[in-house]
Amino acid sequence: MDADNKLLKDLTPELEKTSLTWYITFSIFFAVFAVGVYGLIQQIDKGHIVTGMRDNVVWGFYIVNFIFFMGLSYSGALISGVLHLFHTGWRKPVIRIAELITVISLIIGPFFIFFCIGRLDRLYFLFIHARIQSPITWDVIAIITDLVGCFTYLYLSFIEDFAILRDYADLNVPPWKKKLYKALSLGFTGTPKEKKILKNARIIMAAMIIAIAIIVYSVLAWIFGVTLQPGWHSTIFGPYFVIAAVFSGTGLLIILMWIFRKIYHLEEYITKRHFVNVGVLLTVIAAFYGYFTFSDYLTKWYGSIKMDSILIDKLFTDYYSLFIFANYIGILLPCIIIAFPRFRTIPNITIAAIIAISALWVNRYIIVIPTLETPFLPIQDTRPDWITYSPTWVEWSLTLAGVAVFAMLFMLVSKIAPIISISEMQEKDENEIMK
Amino acid sequence: MKEIVKNESENDRSSRRNFLKKVGIGVGAVSIAGIAGSSVLAASKVKSGEKIKLLSPDGTLVEVDKDDIKPASEIVADLKEEARAGLPNRKFSMVIDLARCKNARKCVEACQEGHLLPKDHEWMKLYLLQDDIHTAKYWFPRPCFHCDKPMCVSVCPVGATYKRPDGIVLIDNQRCIGCKFCMTGCPFSARVFNWKDPEVKVPEGHVYDPETNIPATEGTVGKCIFCADKLRKNELPRCVTACPMGVIYFGDILEDTVTNGNETERFSKLMVDRAGYRYREELGTLPSVYYLPPTQRMFPVESGLEDTDESIKGRYKNVGPR
Amino acid sequence: MKKLSIFAILILSLLPVFSIRLFSQEVTKISPYIQLQYFKNTDDQRILQTSLTYSKNRMELPLSGMEVTFYSGGEQKKLIATGVTDNKGVVRLELKSDIELKSDKDGMWSFSSEYKGNDTIDVGKSEITIKDVKLEMALTVIDTIKTITVKAFTKVNGTEKPVSGEAVKIYVPRMFSLLPISELTLDESGTATTEFPSDLPGNKDGNLTIIAKFEENPTFGNVEKRETLKWGLTTDYSVPSTHRALWTKTAPKWMIYTLSVLLAGVWGHYLFAIISLIRIRIEAKRKAREEYKI
Repeated sequence: MDADNKLLKDLTPELEKTSLTWYITFSIFFAVFAVGVYGLIQQIDKGHIVTGMRDNVVWGFYIVNFIFFMGLSYSGALISGVLHLFHTGWRKPVIRIAELITVISLIIGPFFIFFCIGRLDRLYFLFIHARIQSPITWDVIAIITDLVGCFTYLYLSFIEDFAILRDYADLNVPPWKKKLYKALSLGFTGTPKEKKILKNARIIMAAMIIAIAIIVYSVLAWIFGVTLQPGWHSTIFGPYFVIAAVFSGTGLLIILMWIFRKIYHLEEYITKRHFVNVGVLLTVIAAFYGYFTFSDYLTKWYGSIKMDSILIDKLFTDYYSLFIFANYIGILLPCIIIAFPRFRTIPNITIAAIIAISALWVNRYIIVIPTLETPFLPIQDTRPDWITYSPTWVEWSLTLAGVAVFAMLFMLVSKIAPIISISEMQEKDENEIMK
Repeated sequence: MKEIVKNESENDRSSRRNFLKKVGIGVGAVSIAGIAGSSVLAASKVKSGEKIKLLSPDGTLVEVDKDDIKPASEIVADLKEEARAGLPNRKFSMVIDLARCKNARKCVEACQEGHLLPKDHEWMKLYLLQDDIHTAKYWFPRPCFHCDKPMCVSVCPVGATYKRPDGIVLIDNQRCIGCKFCMTGCPFSARVFNWKDPEVKVPEGHVYDPETNIPATEGTVGKCIFCADKLRKNELPRCVTACPMGVIYFGDILEDTVTNGNETERFSKLMVDRAGYRYREELGTLPSVYYLPPTQRMFPVESGLEDTDESIKGRYKNVGPR
Repeated sequence: MKKLSIFAILILSLLPVFSIRLFSQEVTKISPYIQLQYFKNTDDQRILQTSLTYSKNRMELPLSGMEVTFYSGGEQKKLIATGVTDNKGVVRLELKSDIELKSDKDGMWSFSSEYKGNDTIDVGKSEITIKDVKLEMALTVIDTIKTITVKAFTKVNGTEKPVSGEAVKIYVPRMFSLLPISELTLDESGTATTEFPSDLPGNKDGNLTIIAKFEENPTFGNVEKRETLKWGLTTDYSVPSTHRALWTKTAPKWMIYTLSVLLAGVWGHYLFAIISLIRIRIEAKRKAREEYKI
């Protein structure tokens, strides 16, 4: 019971008071978000001509960000879902962060699709006039299913924690927060029967989340895969995108683990062991990701099909540095850092994660844009912005706004719910006591 | 004794359509019973007895019961329904003779004029292609191919673009949400997007009709529509009549005939004699546009660059095998 | 001094005359292109057609809404009627069967059409001379070969005189234009024969129309004979109404089934989770009531 209280004592201060640094950081993010909103208003007012997209490269930053943010949500699916099903103990301090990444990036992702749509006033047509033969309809259905599933799964994991917070007498929070915990905990009292219902529900949802995650991301990959464009018409796109998504999600998890460990002083709970374990996961997935990438490009490069060769040429000339960063450095560096015990320190592993996640974003960019710049009929035009894609300030500002919103939502949630799942940690303690 | 014969009217359906379009917006458009070529109204409607004076298609003044007048939105819905149904018992195809094309660009200009397109929108585009260093250069006019297995239609999430039984693929600009999936789906780069307000002047009282696709709407997609509005009047598409060299043939291949306005040929004979083919047949989209190889040219390819604007000449700087 | 002033007055008085001439010279009238044609169709209906156009930037543009007068006869022309050109610059006049037409010594009729012009457009006049000809077309099947026989003759003083050496063209009308089948030259007896292709598509019953015509003949004008019969291949226009593909309105069945099964499966599990939440709430309330009682 002492350990109980200690955990609560360590985690509740963040729920009780907010520091000045919090407010300042939040304001900075909000300012970035505001610039993005201004950019969006410009876009709605003047039309998509303010972006860098033109008749050939019709999908630019927005789609890249969409795929990227959707991909981040898979950390929750894998880490939380799979590890939950396999009852791995070390997952406990980090699963809350993973689940939050899932839900928050799932909220942000679809907004980037909205930015890309020319007629936002007709968005509801996607529901009333939906054609099920279109991969975008599959995507709409899949994302909604995924959102509902991940929200439910997250909520299921919150119930016990909210019950604990509701019952914690020493909790020094404003009355509205206390009311919130009471309402959201559904009157949960921790009887064996209640616990059993909750446990079963969580296992079912964990299994569902894993299945949904794979389906949703494959559907997203098939938006590209079913077209005839060179570079997109690849049979490997489904599994490739899923692996890449898990890779980026795991990377983000490490980064957030480091951030929260530092600012909330959670060194006791998130230890080097956790970093190494998630890091090993990152390395394994990096290996798979590298294998899929290599496999995709090897078959394109070896064969003599003209459109493939033109695309590979473009990647190795105009996009050379980006290609090397995304597909060589992005894979090898994290592997090296984590594979050798000498390099395995917490800061190093975090750096590896940062490299991994940046490389993933660039990888998305390299998949989307070069293909659109090499269509079957050559682009014969005199205007430079119609020949190559160059993003404008509107697209940059909205990208940064997406990151800012991600940070802001995380900051807000961390003020309402503990960033480490108290109930999960307590379960461990009970098991130890029982032993 | 002697009579003035009125000029042969266009078929009833088209005159009604034109009339509907002219009287269209807001002020109560018309669907009158009892006049030749008009639509049938619901017989069960109880009439109010209130009459309104209107001008009929052949210029006579008629009095119509107020209840018989349809609102403009219903007119657009009718036009859209007709646009989806298409012309019965037809299958339209185009044949382009690459041996004659010399980049006169009259097809591009006629198309832009007829559909009120802004100058940087080209539904018919002219490429200068060379497949290999040893093969000939040729001018390649590319309209929309109106494929029989259209990728663009398959991927549209809201059904804004559709293939109709007479072979034409149209776009409903009032349904298009601007996701641009069709643009990435088309392997022939046939579609253009309205990135900003096109700022074209629309004629008075114009009603939206997918068969004319006027005006271009911001945030939606546009493409060649084989001038479906002209086909209803048994007239050839604008690019066909505008071409000074007679490069473009058009026709209903169910009756095995194509014409460029001056010469009419049997489609099957033209294909066999001139070895017609389709661009990128292996992609399997089954285009409705056939090409005749550029053999025995009447004049050299370079003559296509002689009278061309500098801004357009710059497009063809890097022509060559890719 | 006096001579100079007289001279000056003369020049000054003539100046306005010169200036008027200068101004009027600036207005150049559009010179129209007027073309008169004679048509005789399969029902022996005779039509005169005038087209009024002008040339601008090497393009021919119609002059519509202009009044054109039709005359018959040569020098002693007789007014037939007037008409107004339509939006294509064309006006057509039907010559009724009871019209009186004087033929000259060669048996030719003369027709002319005139356009009087206006402030901006010059006058235009066009004349043609036409000889009436009778064109006959016989469509027969000889030894399973579809054969067209044409015969043309003129009536001179009650006797038939065959027309020879003239070209008669055979067409099948299509949607936008006439499809040429063959061009025949009439022999001394005024007849010509040709084979009709057996693989030409007709409508759904195999019907098609065949036209034999004198086209822009300098003597006879445009004379045609047409007949519709079952000499074409039947065309099957049927489109399967419930065609299911990726690009049709209705999706392939397997797509609908797969999607339904997947969605039912997944959302079914979600339902289970929601029910679990409700059960927890019910359970907790029940326990709270129990504890309260105790």
